[in-house]
Amino acid sequence: MVENKTEILRGTLDMLILKTISLAPMHGLGISRRIEQITNGVFQVKPGSLFPALHRMEQEGWVSGEWGESENNRRAKYYELTDAGKARLGEEQKGWSRLVLTIGKVLEAN
Amino acid sequence: MLRVPFKGEELDRDLDEELQSYLDLLIEEKTRTGMDPAQARREALIELGGTEQVKASVRETRHGAALDILLHDIRFALRMLRRSAGFAAVFVTTLAIGIGANTALFSTIKALLLSQLPYQEPDRLVASEKTYDGRDAGPISRLDFFDFRRLCGSFDGFCTLSPSMRMAMTGGERSEAVGAVYTTWDLFPTLGVMPALGRNFTEGEEDLSGANVVVIGHDLWQRRFGGSEQAIGASLYLEGTTYEVIGVMPPGFRFLYDTDLWIVIDRDCPIDAQRDSHSLRAVGRLKKGVSLEQAQSEIDAVAAVLENEYPETNAKKGLRLYPLRDYMVAHVRPSLNLLIATTGLLLLIACINVAGLQLARGQRRVSEMAMRSALGASRRRLIRQLLTESVILTMVAGLVGIVVAFLFHYLLLRLLPLGDPGVPIPTIDGTVLLFALAISVVTGLVVGIVPALRGTSRNVWQKLETSTRTSESTSGTRLRTILVVVQVAMSVGLMIGCGLLVRSMVNLASVNLGFETDNVIGGTYSFPSDDQTTTAERVERFTSLIDKIKAHPGVWDAAAITKLPIASRGTDWPIWHASEPRPEPRDSIMGLTRAATPGYFSTIGIPLLRGRDFAATDAEGSDPTVIISEALARDLFPDRDPLGQSVKLGWFDFAFEVIGVVGNAKINGVRSDFDQAIYLSSGQFGPPFQWLVIRTEGDPEILAAGIRKLVEEKDRNAILGDLVTMEALVDEDLTGFRVVMLALGLLSVVAMLLTAVGLYGVLAYHVSERRNEFGIRTALGAVPVDLTSLIMKKGLAMVGIGLAFGFVGASLSSRLIQRLLFEIEPLDPIAYVGGAVFFGTVAVIACLVPAWRAARINPVAALRSE
Repeated sequence: MVENKTEILRGTLDMLILKTISLAPMHGLGISRRIEQITNGVFQVKPGSLFPALHRMEQEGWVSGEWGESENNRRAKYYELTDAGKARLGEEQKGWSRLVLTIGKVLEAN
Repeated sequence: MLRVPFKGEELDRDLDEELQSYLDLLIEEKTRTGMDPAQARREALIELGGTEQVKASVRETRHGAALDILLHDIRFALRMLRRSAGFAAVFVTTLAIGIGANTALFSTIKALLLSQLPYQEPDRLVASEKTYDGRDAGPISRLDFFDFRRLCGSFDGFCTLSPSMRMAMTGGERSEAVGAVYTTWDLFPTLGVMPALGRNFTEGEEDLSGANVVVIGHDLWQRRFGGSEQAIGASLYLEGTTYEVIGVMPPGFRFLYDTDLWIVIDRDCPIDAQRDSHSLRAVGRLKKGVSLEQAQSEIDAVAAVLENEYPETNAKKGLRLYPLRDYMVAHVRPSLNLLIATTGLLLLIACINVAGLQLARGQRRVSEMAMRSALGASRRRLIRQLLTESVILTMVAGLVGIVVAFLFHYLLLRLLPLGDPGVPIPTIDGTVLLFALAISVVTGLVVGIVPALRGTSRNVWQKLETSTRTSESTSGTRLRTILVVVQVAMSVGLMIGCGLLVRSMVNLASVNLGFETDNVIGGTYSFPSDDQTTTAERVERFTSLIDKIKAHPGVWDAAAITKLPIASRGTDWPIWHASEPRPEPRDSIMGLTRAATPGYFSTIGIPLLRGRDFAATDAEGSDPTVIISEALARDLFPDRDPLGQSVKLGWFDFAFEVIGVVGNAKINGVRSDFDQAIYLSSGQFGPPFQWLVIRTEGDPEILAAGIRKLVEEKDRNAILGDLVTMEALVDEDLTGFRVVMLALGLLSVVAMLLTAVGLYGVLAYHVSERRNEFGIRTALGAVPVDLTSLIMKKGLAMVGIGLAFGFVGASLSSRLIQRLLFEIEPLDPIAYVGGAVFFGTVAVIACLVPAWRAARINPVAALRSE
């Protein structure tokens, strides 16, 4: 049985995926590995979380997927950031910064 | 969104490919680091985590996923149900009964309580009742009414009506007795329904002496004037006076009383000449924004003013306002409440049966559920699936229930005491069907939720897997047992209620009416009279007619009375000792007042206990005489002989001598306990309108035609109404109650049968669960009787506990139906014992069948099939 991650993490995951493919189109495994790499293994995105997120964002129109060929000529579905997705990423980043600031204020308060 | 269900498969394939691609890339990644390909594949699969789960998660995030899943659930449910057609059939039948009964009742309730009265903004309309010392006391007086109208500002129209009064309408081809209601000029505008032809009364007409204008009803317009426009301005002759027709009401219009025409109350109006004579009903429309409570306070203030100004007639007299709708359905409320409770319980019992069925079925589908869970379905998904099944079944049950509802509805319509003017007739329309749908869906959810929860719970699965086959019962069976006990309690309660009503009915049917119903027939008789006719002339007409009737072959005796018992009720006047001053209205002893001709009491069979009957000598000019009933004699003269005493009554300023005492009679209705009656001599007053009462030697129906011919020959201008037998009148009076009793009886029997089925079901399942145990026991030497008694003990325990709770429940709630009971205590032991025995017998039979089956379990077969 698959358990859902918490809501906060879901929004964060969206942001991370969008950011990752903003640099270059990638397939599912590639996105997972990239996130794992950049966060030094802290975030390990399992397929059970990755694919629902990807498909949801595809429905929303933030990413678009297309079949193509990987480095070793294997078939893989590549995801690319759309214009709407770019805008979404910007919003998410702003929201995230605001969140971090606010929490910071709380933690600093006496 | 609609594309998705079909696109779903396409997306599924795409996802499959994508996951396969992911797996391949993952394996490749691992082999590149030098791992053994087989090992790489194993690890990759573990990392992937199970394709089915991933696919399920993705599917759930799809747009329109909800609809997609719902459709899938529905298709799956239909497939499953096709396989268990027997279960589905029982489910549907059981619930259809419960839903059907409730739907039929809802249509009745909707008509009576929820639908719009056919007047403008009916929620602002109020009716009223006068009060003495806060207690409701019937109609108000004309003079009081006009003062209220003058002094109250809360109303956009405050009107009054008299009850429908019979009048002789002459002229034209034939004379007719019509019903006439006296009303104020603004009744129709206040209701918001104006005459369809002609005009309404004008305010000025109320101030005239002898306005003599009428508005006629649609039916009279058709009958008398053929629906022609010439009716406006035409003349009508009522009781010898000429009236002008000024308007015609639209077809189907009724308000409070069934009547043919409305006469405006003018200065000459004969009704309620005195302030303490009360014959009228006041209704009004609240001004916009004025609440009932506000209007009530204003009314109370005016009542206080009247109390001050007229201390003799208005002491402690008030007026209470009611919403019009409440006022109109008040007499049906108690029966309706009882029926609501009963159908509610019936549905509950049906639901419990059905839930039990589902619990049993759920236990059989455990392995299916476990497998689907392993394949990736979340628990929520499984529950949703099971609930879909449940709701589909109940919706089908709802559809069948609608058919059942039509059946119940037909019965209800024919039997409930509806059909009062203005009270709407129940119909089955869109709203009712919507109710049936809603109740089906809700029932499906309610009935399905517990079985769904149990059927998908890991704990239950584990218990079932590891449970030994000799265990007593799983918690599922325990739950069903508790539910059955509840069913038994409710069913017993209904049976007891039924028993109480049956006992009441028996009492009603055998109550001593105080008069004869065999071979007694009556009919109204009136002739047009005007101021010219003298009292003596009017008396003579009745006397000669009665003599002629008595001479007719087959007639044993005949007489006349102003109000025939049961047919004509009301009119109670105050009566007091002549030597004392007139008492205040709220302290007065009242008696139902009639005027009778000599021979009335012997004709109708009311015994003359003391003194004498009226004679020809009790005529105009001689000393006024009165005969009173025994109850009244006891009230007025508790310690002396009433004969010869002098009394005053009503609004006459002279005294009457009591010349006789007669037995009490139920003249105000079979259920009435108003036994006080005052009889005046017709000979002294010569009323122009009376009921002829005739006692025949044989079947009165045979003589009816002959009597009618005789009467009509004697006087062409006189009007004889329909002849009715006293037997028919009494029977009709009991109809309403009989209907409630039959409805409750039918529902209770159905409830009892459903409970018996539920009882049987639980025990049968229990037996099948313990088959192996019983097989072993038999193999070890148990005698069939042992096994039978085992099961019987369990069954009887359930019934016994249920009975106990049922008794307690019934005794607590029977007080609520007290108003419906007749001469029966709410805790009547015979009804309780009778109900318990009747139900108990059926229940024991329901237990015997599975118990007997238990005894016949073949040990070899049982052990082999485990």
